[in-house]
Amino acid sequence: MWEVVAYGLTIGGILYIISIGFSLTFGSMRIVNFAHGLIYAVGAYALVTMLPLVKGNFLLAAVLAVLISLPVSYIIEKFVIRRLYGKSIDYAIIASYAVLLMGVDLIKWIWGANPLPLSDPIGKNLAILSFEIPLYRVVIILLSFLIFAGLSLFFKKTMIGKIVVAGLQDREAVQGLGIDIDKYFAIVFLLGSALAALGGMLYGPISTVHPYMGFRVVTLCFAVVIVGGQGNLRGTALASYVLGMVMALTAWFWGPAADAMIFAVMAVVLIFRPIEF
Amino acid sequence: MGAGQVMIKKFSDSGGLNIAVMIIGFTAFAYLASVNKVTDFIIFCIYVLGFDLLYGRMGRISFGHMLYLGAGAYGAAMSAKYLTPDPFLAILMGIACGATVGVLLGPIVVRTKGAAFALINVAFNQIGYFLVLVALARYTGGEDGVSLKFSTYGFLNFGNVHFLFVFCLCSLLLVYYVMQRLKRSAFGALLAGIKENEIRVRFLGYNTLVYKWIAFIMSTSISAFAGTLFTLNYGFTNPSFIDPARNVEVIFAALIGGPGTELGPVVGGTAYMVISNYLARYITRWELFLGLALLIIAFRFRKGVMGSIQDLMAKRAQKT
Repeated sequence: MWEVVAYGLTIGGILYIISIGFSLTFGSMRIVNFAHGLIYAVGAYALVTMLPLVKGNFLLAAVLAVLISLPVSYIIEKFVIRRLYGKSIDYAIIASYAVLLMGVDLIKWIWGANPLPLSDPIGKNLAILSFEIPLYRVVIILLSFLIFAGLSLFFKKTMIGKIVVAGLQDREAVQGLGIDIDKYFAIVFLLGSALAALGGMLYGPISTVHPYMGFRVVTLCFAVVIVGGQGNLRGTALASYVLGMVMALTAWFWGPAADAMIFAVMAVVLIFRPIEF
Repeated sequence: MGAGQVMIKKFSDSGGLNIAVMIIGFTAFAYLASVNKVTDFIIFCIYVLGFDLLYGRMGRISFGHMLYLGAGAYGAAMSAKYLTPDPFLAILMGIACGATVGVLLGPIVVRTKGAAFALINVAFNQIGYFLVLVALARYTGGEDGVSLKFSTYGFLNFGNVHFLFVFCLCSLLLVYYVMQRLKRSAFGALLAGIKENEIRVRFLGYNTLVYKWIAFIMSTSISAFAGTLFTLNYGFTNPSFIDPARNVEVIFAALIGGPGTELGPVVGGTAYMVISNYLARYITRWELFLGLALLIIAFRFRKGVMGSIQDLMAKRAQKT
């Protein structure tokens, strides 16, 4: 029983790390950024590539992988997102989908279409109460709490954070104060993308690394945003952990239904709280 | 204008010209290339017409339309397998399946718009894919799918390549005709209004939810019809007919053809099929090319081929 809770928290934590960037872009720019899934995949693939170069040092490889993902997300932001924002939200979704498609094919070209193996870097278990849980998952849970705390501080205490929160509420008012809100949203985009790459790296060892992982994660992120509310920081966190628990519980009873169950939950939420935007 | 000219104008206005172009075009293509392949193209065009009803005419893009295609394909397959191998019943059951999905999902889906509409269709597509692949695998054959044999009635033999071609072409013309009538009807005008400004249409006193729902059901039914035709054409059905990853095909086709135009979906459908069948032989990374093309369309070429042609002709008409 407690294992399910632990696994739920793990998945929830990773969902949170990945979704927060997606939610912020969605809330601030009203753009559904499919390319978010691409950065997630790039993070995982970069990690797999870096590991043999740093002789198995997971931490160093992770840092390098995040650094690699930054220019990718910068290029996407500069050439695609920025051009679409404000003018054509409808086409933003098609354009970002196209970027994801291109990225997936490039991944297939560079790394091949087969899933790549990535193993648990710690490999030891922690014994709590009556069961054992891989230490790696504990690290993920703790990391997700840390990131949540860090982001909360960032958005409450720093100037950039406060501007972004204000911009999420009322864009024009912030611009009226003479602040170039686009620049701040761009910074947030990069931050969110870096977190997506991090999520990809963390999730890689406990799931599979394959070219289409980006597609799957985007729909999951979207479910989180629907359930938690777009641009709503605390809502995203809550929704991530709740959906993580749903996935873990469903997987316990009927493995393959885990993903489908999340979408069922999302559909139910949409019935009772349809979005207007 | 002389009587002859009036007749010609009436013929082309009513879409007769388009129908003639389609008949001649596809028949020529079929006998130059391969009848079997062109039948495939035709069925795909029907699917794109169904998709464009929602996208071009009502302004909602769905990223999960394979669900409805699959509903039709599997509806037909299950009917042929468990009821009777009669092909016509299979078609009816497939369409009924698609319509049922539209009726059930409509109230949820149709309340959303924009990105939410796109992604909620994906979500349902994923659920459908899961049902077909895993949950109901006992009936649907899971990953392997189902292969079928249909009964024949003299010349109404779906195993005959030429009959299939004629049947599918006639189906395409029928669907095209229905879409034309729709466009010129009050219902079509209502949909166009909803696409432009839904709140205003509501102010006029219309219950837009009902109309959106009806349009949704029509779209799912047409897509399901295409699905049944695919099953008949191939003689089998498998999860690739409901695979969410294939949604890009119909989106690309609708966009490049010209959303909302009359021939747009057919042009786009043919274009995509030609690219995926023939270009793929010469350029191995053709999916990369597809993504790039989609990107360029989203930035610069939003009206698609037919839309741009219409714009050109309008400009020329202005000059004279």
